[in-house]
Amino acid sequence: MRPLEPISNPARIGLGIGFFILFFAGWGLATLGGFVPKIFLADPISMVRDGWRLLMQFGFGYEILITIWRVVGGFVLAAIVAVPLGILMGAYKPVEAFFEPFVSFARYLPASAFVPLLILWAGLGETQKLLVIFIGSVFQIILMVAVDVGNTRRDLVEAAYTLGAGDGGVVRRVLIPMNAPEIAEILRLVLGWAWTYVIVAELIGSSAGIGHMIIDSQALMATGQIIFGIIVIGVIGLVSDFLFKLVNRRLFPWRLA
Amino acid sequence: MSKLVIENLSRIFPAVHGGPAVTALQPTNLSIGDNDFVTILGPSGCGKSTLLRMVAGLDRPTTGTIMLDGRRITAPGPDRGMVFQSYTLFPWLTISQNIAFGLTEKGMNAAEAKEIVASYIDKVGLRGFENHWPKQLSGGMQQRTAIARALANNPAILLLDEPFGALDNQTRALMQELLLGIWEREKKTVLFVTHDIEEAIFIASRCLVMSARPGRIKADLSINLPYPRHYTLKTSPEFSDLKARLTEEIRAEAVLAAAH
Repeated sequence: MRPLEPISNPARIGLGIGFFILFFAGWGLATLGGFVPKIFLADPISMVRDGWRLLMQFGFGYEILITIWRVVGGFVLAAIVAVPLGILMGAYKPVEAFFEPFVSFARYLPASAFVPLLILWAGLGETQKLLVIFIGSVFQIILMVAVDVGNTRRDLVEAAYTLGAGDGGVVRRVLIPMNAPEIAEILRLVLGWAWTYVIVAELIGSSAGIGHMIIDSQALMATGQIIFGIIVIGVIGLVSDFLFKLVNRRLFPWRLA
Repeated sequence: MSKLVIENLSRIFPAVHGGPAVTALQPTNLSIGDNDFVTILGPSGCGKSTLLRMVAGLDRPTTGTIMLDGRRITAPGPDRGMVFQSYTLFPWLTISQNIAFGLTEKGMNAAEAKEIVASYIDKVGLRGFENHWPKQLSGGMQQRTAIARALANNPAILLLDEPFGALDNQTRALMQELLLGIWEREKKTVLFVTHDIEEAIFIASRCLVMSARPGRIKADLSINLPYPRHYTLKTSPEFSDLKARLTEEIRAEAVLAAAH
């Protein structure tokens, strides 16, 4: 092992899987070995059994879909607003001067603290859940996109001007295509954060979703189900991350060249 | 007839953080003829790039005017093609698409643009690399593409800001011959900034020497070496004489610049 020395693909995958095995082995040892009482932490085997029962008998698949829809719905709404605004702020300094202080302030408002307020405004329906995700994501995306677009290499912009591009052409033909991969990367990152907000939104005043199942399970002391719910979120996150990376690689082949 | 007329052009960068204002270019008059290949030679920081950037419209003069074909320059435009020292190909476009950038901006139809792009691909010797990404090409090839991209727009004047500065010596010599070859065949007005004396003589029909900051033009030489020029010219006595003379001029300025 030497600093920054690359490793082979099989070794990388093997090591990655290795930690999962170690993790589950440690967990199994602590619970099945009797070191931790069952009511605090279920063992891996009963977690899998509980999860299977949830999926087969209690329609947990539907709850998962509900949660995914909320995350994706709120996130897409946020992206539709935030990406164009972020690009405008990055490109035009007066627009940035107008919005940036407020957005920077709003970014620190905790989305979860809005839950009670949003319940008052929007009730307990889907609108409220989407709004939590929206508030949690929109300011982050705006700011990160604006910074990214604002840092576009000056010489590329100047080259475009000398080739006859106007101001609109520079935004459309340089700033956007140049930063598209970073914007996709920002969306991937913020989507991960959106997953934490959706669970918070579902813990309070919800009648469906993974978060709702978790809070119900707490009342029943069903730690196996809680852990299963958390793991499901982790797996979905991993899958969506992977898909995002795959799509980015397809969309921006020039980055890999 | 004069293609480019510069009158009383100066540039003073305003003071920042309490420092003094910097005079990059003292009021300068200059007139460049049609199809001239003019090199601007000077030590680093002498304002030669500032002068070129003002002609490109990328920097605003403090005083004076620049006229190209009788029209006053106020902003960048496709009539002044520019090649930068840094690699400025658009990384998300292929080599062909990069060369076609200006043509697309003009709204030229695809078939016509394709023909022009193909002819410039040939002229700069990049056939077979049309569909490569810029990253996949060497520095010399990228600068050849940048020259093709600027020329494809058919600009009235071609501006080059130390375009071969980042290349190794051998590549640089080949690039000089390539650019000179294109100029001999197509005839273009060219303004070329460099700090390399040999380069400034070899490719030029006229060479301007700039003084150390604050910049001004201190010498104006016609380079009457025969065409077509071959690399062996660099070892001829006439070339050596010019080189010796310019070396003296530049050395005095470099010493001054270093003392600052």
